[in-house]
Amino acid sequence: MRLYADSAKCSGCRACLVACSLNLFQESNPKKASLNLIPHFPNPGVYEMKVCTQCGDCAAVCPTEAIKLNDRGAYYVDFAECNLCEACVPECPEDVMFVRTELANTAWKCDLCGDCVSVCGTSALWIAN
Amino acid sequence: MLKSYLGDQKEVIVEAGYTIRETLISLGMNPDLVAGIFVNQDQQSKDYILQDGDIVNLLAVIGGG
Amino acid sequence: MNGYGGTILRVNLTDGKISKEPTPAQLARDFIGGRGFGIYFLFKEVPKGIDPLGPENKLFISTGPLSGMMAPGGGKCDWTTKSPLTGGYADASMGGHFTAEMKYAGIDTIILEGISTKPVYLFIDNDKIQLLDASSLWGKGAIDVEVELKHKYGEEYQIAAIGPGGENQVLYACINHDFGRQAGRGGVGAVMGSKKLKAIVLHGTKSVAVADLESYRKAGLALYKACKDAEGLAEWSRYGTTVVTSWCNEVGALPTRNFSAGSFEGIDHINGQAMRKEIVITDKGCFGCPSPCGKYSNMKRYNTQVEGPEYETIGLMGSNLGIADIQSVAEANRLADDLGLDTISTGSCIAWAMECYEKGILTKADTDGLELKFGNTEAVFTLIKKIAHREGKIGDLLALGVKQASQEVGKGSEKFAIQVKGMEQSAYATHNATAMLLAYMTCDVGAHHNRSWAITYDLQVGREKVVPEKVARIIWLQNFRPMFDVFGSCRLQWVELGIDRELYCPLLESITGIKRSWQDLEAVGNRIWNLTRMYWARENDSFGREWDYPAQRFYTEPPKTGATAGQITKFEDVQKLLDMYYEQRGWDDNGLPTQATLETLNLTALVV
Repeated sequence: MRLYADSAKCSGCRACLVACSLNLFQESNPKKASLNLIPHFPNPGVYEMKVCTQCGDCAAVCPTEAIKLNDRGAYYVDFAECNLCEACVPECPEDVMFVRTELANTAWKCDLCGDCVSVCGTSALWIAN
Repeated sequence: MLKSYLGDQKEVIVEAGYTIRETLISLGMNPDLVAGIFVNQDQQSKDYILQDGDIVNLLAVIGGG
Repeated sequence: MNGYGGTILRVNLTDGKISKEPTPAQLARDFIGGRGFGIYFLFKEVPKGIDPLGPENKLFISTGPLSGMMAPGGGKCDWTTKSPLTGGYADASMGGHFTAEMKYAGIDTIILEGISTKPVYLFIDNDKIQLLDASSLWGKGAIDVEVELKHKYGEEYQIAAIGPGGENQVLYACINHDFGRQAGRGGVGAVMGSKKLKAIVLHGTKSVAVADLESYRKAGLALYKACKDAEGLAEWSRYGTTVVTSWCNEVGALPTRNFSAGSFEGIDHINGQAMRKEIVITDKGCFGCPSPCGKYSNMKRYNTQVEGPEYETIGLMGSNLGIADIQSVAEANRLADDLGLDTISTGSCIAWAMECYEKGILTKADTDGLELKFGNTEAVFTLIKKIAHREGKIGDLLALGVKQASQEVGKGSEKFAIQVKGMEQSAYATHNATAMLLAYMTCDVGAHHNRSWAITYDLQVGREKVVPEKVARIIWLQNFRPMFDVFGSCRLQWVELGIDRELYCPLLESITGIKRSWQDLEAVGNRIWNLTRMYWARENDSFGREWDYPAQRFYTEPPKTGATAGQITKFEDVQKLLDMYYEQRGWDDNGLPTQATLETLNLTALVV
């Protein structure tokens, strides 16, 4: 199972980012979310979405084995085990491995909670095999 | 929206060949209270003539601007 | 304080002093946020009788408890000031992502006071707050400024900017943000321009505390589910506000040729269908919105883009100008946005000028050679630029707004200046729709539909009827709808999707920790309503019943064509509506809140 995004349906509202940060950090802070929403304005005037495909490249390279599998079968970061080495960040083909030390003392990524899908009004996000 | 005119019915089957406006009136609805007509997802005017197989969604005017 | 940024940021542009105060808990309790904070500060801090474009006016930008939260439409901020257009209360509600960013920067209200000697922009990055030199930005269009500042600082930074319209203090200049959202009406952009503040750059990464995290999550998700389950969501999101264009035309509500009629023969070329067919690329949403109404468009003919046109702009810059071409309307929209002019007021001023020209009241000598006939698109493009730069006789005249322009020109042109209290009427023609007419008459910023909208109610009850129920409906809407402006969120999820408003109560309670029913909230709304009324009375010695009169056209000139041909409201019904309205509001015969009403609402201390 993994998250899918159809950029053509994205309205840039960022509800997904708020729902995500609430799940990961119990905060309403879209900068601490694990999807990548890229606006391209004023021209051509579209939003680009990047989401975790659960490829596992981040887990493969993590030296502390901080990136584990949860009971949804998705890779997630165990915050207690992350040492902020940032080896995972360049490995991610979708740019959805996040390290921002001014915001959190750990790397973070999508754990497939599905809350983003629940709040997306345009059905731009869904979870499937 | 259909509820107030047709009881609990959410859907109704109608004849092709009539305009939307005529059809609404024949169903006992005031066309002025229907904001939008969507035929197979595209908005159309109330002069649109219904064709076989068309799926029409009505949008009530709820609150305006 | 749960649900709030916690800080009032005070920026003095005269001496450059920047200071912070904690947001008073009592203020949050009594006025909640957004428009509530705005009117409180306006009354308290802006002295009576000051020049709206002078150093003593202030501009208050306020978030609310839903701003930036997991709340559908939690993306609005309220801009309040003394209006240079009307001389009374003005507020404008701006969508996009600015309000969320303010919240994350820990700010509930930004107070802009004084006047800078040189163009500056306000830079806010969490606790790093500076006034920086904007001389290289001054003169540029709002779109270019946003591009430049995002490039300089990063995509995460939210930008609000004025265009030349605000710089030149056109009385209905607006403020732009997120490539398509505005704090539109009442001249808030002119106030910002008078302060020589070109832009605000905003970035915040802090967290917002909530009273009950689990309940908040549950209540937020419940609201999103209600929106996603709403009938009509797909249709609304596809067409946005333009979804009502054809309907308005059918019921005689579409402003046509300076509101001389309510139906337009070119409707098929400017409605939602035309938009989707010819120009729309992206459904664009404000922060947290599941029902994106923004229609981001590409105009192939001009090789330009705009978020829009909204229904309002289709009305005021399309049918109202006799223009039957969506690309032309979209390009006029883009020009107005970039130059920083409210499209509603701009469209109305141009329409008035066109009627003057066609009647010979204005000639080419007055219009700098422009042939201002209805339908002349090129003249419209030229005129928008002239207005923004106050260029030429006509540009400078129309920059005053339709009320003052018509007072200057005279010759009976005041009769077709379609305004109330100096604000140009928005896009619903009210020749025969008495509840909606009352809405425009009594709206507290002037002739705008934001506070109450009742055309469907008019059609259900009988459009020409003048009955207490219509008045009660308008009053209820006026106490209720602007509460969304207080929450810091959009009202369209309730207005357009028809979701159950009860769902907002557990959300607000879980965020703020304060339990409020809709009865409680409407009481706050009623209190705010009386405050904004008292503000008008304080600023204008002659304020009273006559200020509530509608544009004369609506009780003197029945349309000759369209759905409302031959229909008109009687002036005696205008008076009857006001009599009932004042009585139900607890105001005297002249439309002023009585002492008893002020006491009941606990307002006597504030309005002294």
